[in-house]
This record gives sequence, structure tokens and C-alpha cells, in this order.
Amino acid sequence: MKAAVTPIVITDADFLKFREFFYRKTGIHFEENKRYFVDKRLIDRIEATGAENFRAYFIALRFESDGAELQQLVNTMTVNETYFFREVYQFDCLVKDMLAEVVRHKRRGERIRIWSIPSSTGEEPYSIAIYLLERWPLINDYEVEIMSSDIDTTVLSAAQRGVYSARSIGQLPKPYLDKYFRRLSDNEFAISRDLVAAVDFSRVNLSDANDTRKFRNIDVIFCRNLLIYFDDLSRRLAAEAMYDALSPGGFVCLGHSESMSRISALYTVRRFPDAMVYQKPMQGDRP
Amino acid sequence: MGLRKTSETEPLHQVIGREFPRDAHGLSAQLRSPDAELRRWAARDLADHPECARVLGVQLQQESDTSVREALFTSLGTIATQDSVTALLPMLRQEDAQLRNRAIEALASMPRAVAPRIEALLHDTDVDVRIFTVNLLGELRHEQVPQWLMQVLAHEKNVNVVASAIDVLAETGQPEHVAALRAVRQRFSHDPFVGFAADMVIARIEAP
Repeated sequence: MKAAVTPIVITDADFLKFREFFYRKTGIHFEENKRYFVDKRLIDRIEATGAENFRAYFIALRFESDGAELQQLVNTMTVNETYFFREVYQFDCLVKDMLAEVVRHKRRGERIRIWSIPSSTGEEPYSIAIYLLERWPLINDYEVEIMSSDIDTTVLSAAQRGVYSARSIGQLPKPYLDKYFRRLSDNEFAISRDLVAAVDFSRVNLSDANDTRKFRNIDVIFCRNLLIYFDDLSRRLAAEAMYDALSPGGFVCLGHSESMSRISALYTVRRFPDAMVYQKPMQGDRP
Repeated sequence: MGLRKTSETEPLHQVIGREFPRDAHGLSAQLRSPDAELRRWAARDLADHPECARVLGVQLQQESDTSVREALFTSLGTIATQDSVTALLPMLRQEDAQLRNRAIEALASMPRAVAPRIEALLHDTDVDVRIFTVNLLGELRHEQVPQWLMQVLAHEKNVNVVASAIDVLAETGQPEHVAALRAVRQRFSHDPFVGFAADMVIARIEAP
């Protein structure tokens, strides 16, 4: 006869202990109302790893030397999706505040460099391009170069192909959709070839110094919801690479749950009305 | 104006000439440059030269620029050898809390290399170093951490080191720690904080 299997339960104390640990490792905080979401995924991982209960799983998670299970858990607990105009408040901050500071140190007509990494399938770099064209009044006074990189050549090809689903363009205002996209079918929209031609795509591993050292004099980096998938050392290597890629006074935008202060002491926190971003100190301001 | 692509004839960054060769010897020399940016690049690139961990450690002791120090810590963490550990350990004796914390983070990222040094660190004559070692255990992903914490509970004489260990156990404590927690509570019965903290951790461990 088969022995009865005791169902795995996450107690209140377990949840609090896990929440505290997960926040310390990732910066992601789960409110009480996410309890069902967290419990369900935790139980899935406990079962997948064959742990007897939460306590056994947590101890293994806490002391595993390679961090592989923590990474699995991060992947499970985070939703990896990308679409046009995602976390749009940072684009508002770009056109209202960050670029205003950047141009303070540039002559009219000079080049501004923006780097979007990871490019994924292109939604972010193209959103930046559209935002600049539509909402930055000085777009015709400067040359703006948008570069976008990803480690995955498959998504880079998709970005250059530039065909998107209805869900992906769902947040775009209709006038922008009409202006920059061509409807191919009910669920397929092709982005304008002019926009594709305006973005420089390249394959880059952000934690490999040999890949990143040619990136210099960049004014703004968008690196959102990527570092959360890195281990501690890779995260630090990425922070170092972005620092050396930036011009003094340049900005880094991370995802809403990410914090550079937890990764590196290289940057200064800047709080603008629309977003909190990180800045490479100007020369002379460096401690 | 408007959106422009990088022209093929204008690479992102062109290297005109180098003062120092990019080998271990050249980079070690560049690490002594008066220009902080050059020192920083040398510190980053020396991550590919594990034989230079000691050179990075020497520079870490005297480096005053934060951006160079960060690169030194990251490269030592990347190299992650016994020499890296030797280079980082003196930082635990630094007055500057930021330097100490960076050293603890870097050491925590290399569990295999740092593990053979933990016993000696837990017996260091400097109480502060023992406390920082317990802090390091709180971050270290190594299967021996629970035993090292038990050892602190059983033998450590300084109440602040013991309190730090109890603090780490608040998260990582397991049923096998309960007896040691009860014993340490008894051993420090004159100290109300140890009693309070040990009771709290025991309650957490024994919670259904």
C-alpha cells in the first residue's frame, strides 16, 4: 500500500522568513496580498527539488554554493515580459530630466548616446526612439544614437525583423501605432523600417569585459530587469562595465525592483519627479 | 539631427596607443599610474590574471579612489583563489566600515576559497574580526556554516560575537541548534540580551 503523502504547507513564519531572505538577495518585496502567489511557487520548487518540507528546502537554498536554486526561484517568482512603453515613467524621466542634464554639458548638434540592454525583441529600444521623436522637444537639436544589445542572437534577429503581437503594442497610444507600425494581420504589426534602421543592435554579454570595453561615452543606459537574473559577482561585473561605458554624469535606469545601491558603491542615487535613477559622478565629484 | 546610427567609420572607442602592455606585468605597472582611470582599467583587466591577486591586494591597501577600489574588489572576487582571500582578509581590520563590508561581500562570493580560513578567523585575537567573521558566515553559501555557528555558541567567550551568531541563526537556525542555543543561554545567563535573542530563535525554530 502506498504511504500517504503529507501536503507541503507554508506557515506564516515560513513566509516571513522566506520574504526577508528573498528581499535581501533580490530587492523584491512581497506584500501579504501576494501570499498565494509566493506559496504556490515555493511549494512547486520544494516538490521539484524533492525537499521534505519548507525548512529542508530553505536550508538547502540558503547554503547551496552555486546559487542555482536561488536562480530558479528568481525565474519562477518574476514575470519576464516585455512590451512597448513598459515602465513608461522612466521614459518620462528621460525626456524631462535626464536629457536636460546631459545637454547641459554638450554643444548644440553634438551626439547623445543611449544604450538599451538587454534589447530582447526590441520593444525597449524602439520605445525609446518613439518617445524621443514624439516627446523630446530638442530632438532636432542633437544627434541621438540608440544602441541596443543582447546576449541572445535569436532575439536580436527578431528585434531587427520588428514584427510584434497585439499584446506587445497594447500600451502604445493609437496615433503612435498608426504612425510607426503597419498592420500585417489582426495579431501582427510591423514597425517602421526607419526605426529599425535607427537602432544599432549588437550581441553583448554584459558581464564579459571583452564584450563591453568598446562601449564608451554613453549618456544614458537602460538596463531594466536584467541584473535580477544575475548572480552577485556577475551583477557587480555588469555594474563595473556600465560605469566604464558611461560619460561622467551619465545615467543608469534599472527595473523598478532593482537597486544599484545594493550592488555597487560606484553610483550616486538621483531622485527625479518621475523616477529614481543612478548617476556616474562627474569628474571631481568622485570620492 | 534626430536619430543617428553609429557610422561604420566612427567606432565606439578607438585605441590610439598604449603606455602599458596588456599583460600581467604591464597591467601591474599601470596599477601604479597617477591617473585613477588607468588604475581602474588595470584593476579590471587583472581579473584575467589570477597570479596577480597579491598585487591587487597590495593596491587595495593603499588605494584612495572609490572607483578603483570597487574594481579591485570585483577582480579579487572574480579570481576567487586562496591568494584572493589573503589579499582581502586585511580589510577586515579596516576602520572604514564600507571597506570592511565590501571585503565581506567579496569573501562571501568565494565560499570554497574562504572556507579553509574560517577556523583561524573564529579564533582571531581581535574581537571585531571574530564578529565580522560571523557576519561573513551570515552571507556565506557553504554547507559547514551551521557547524561553525555551533562552534561559536559552544566556545566563544565574547558576548558580542555570540550575539552576532544568534542573529545569523535567527534566519538559518535548525532543530539541531536548539540544544546549543539553550546551552549558550545558560552560559550567558547574566546577559538578558542573549537570553532574549536565544529564546526568540528557539521559538522560531520550534514554530509548527
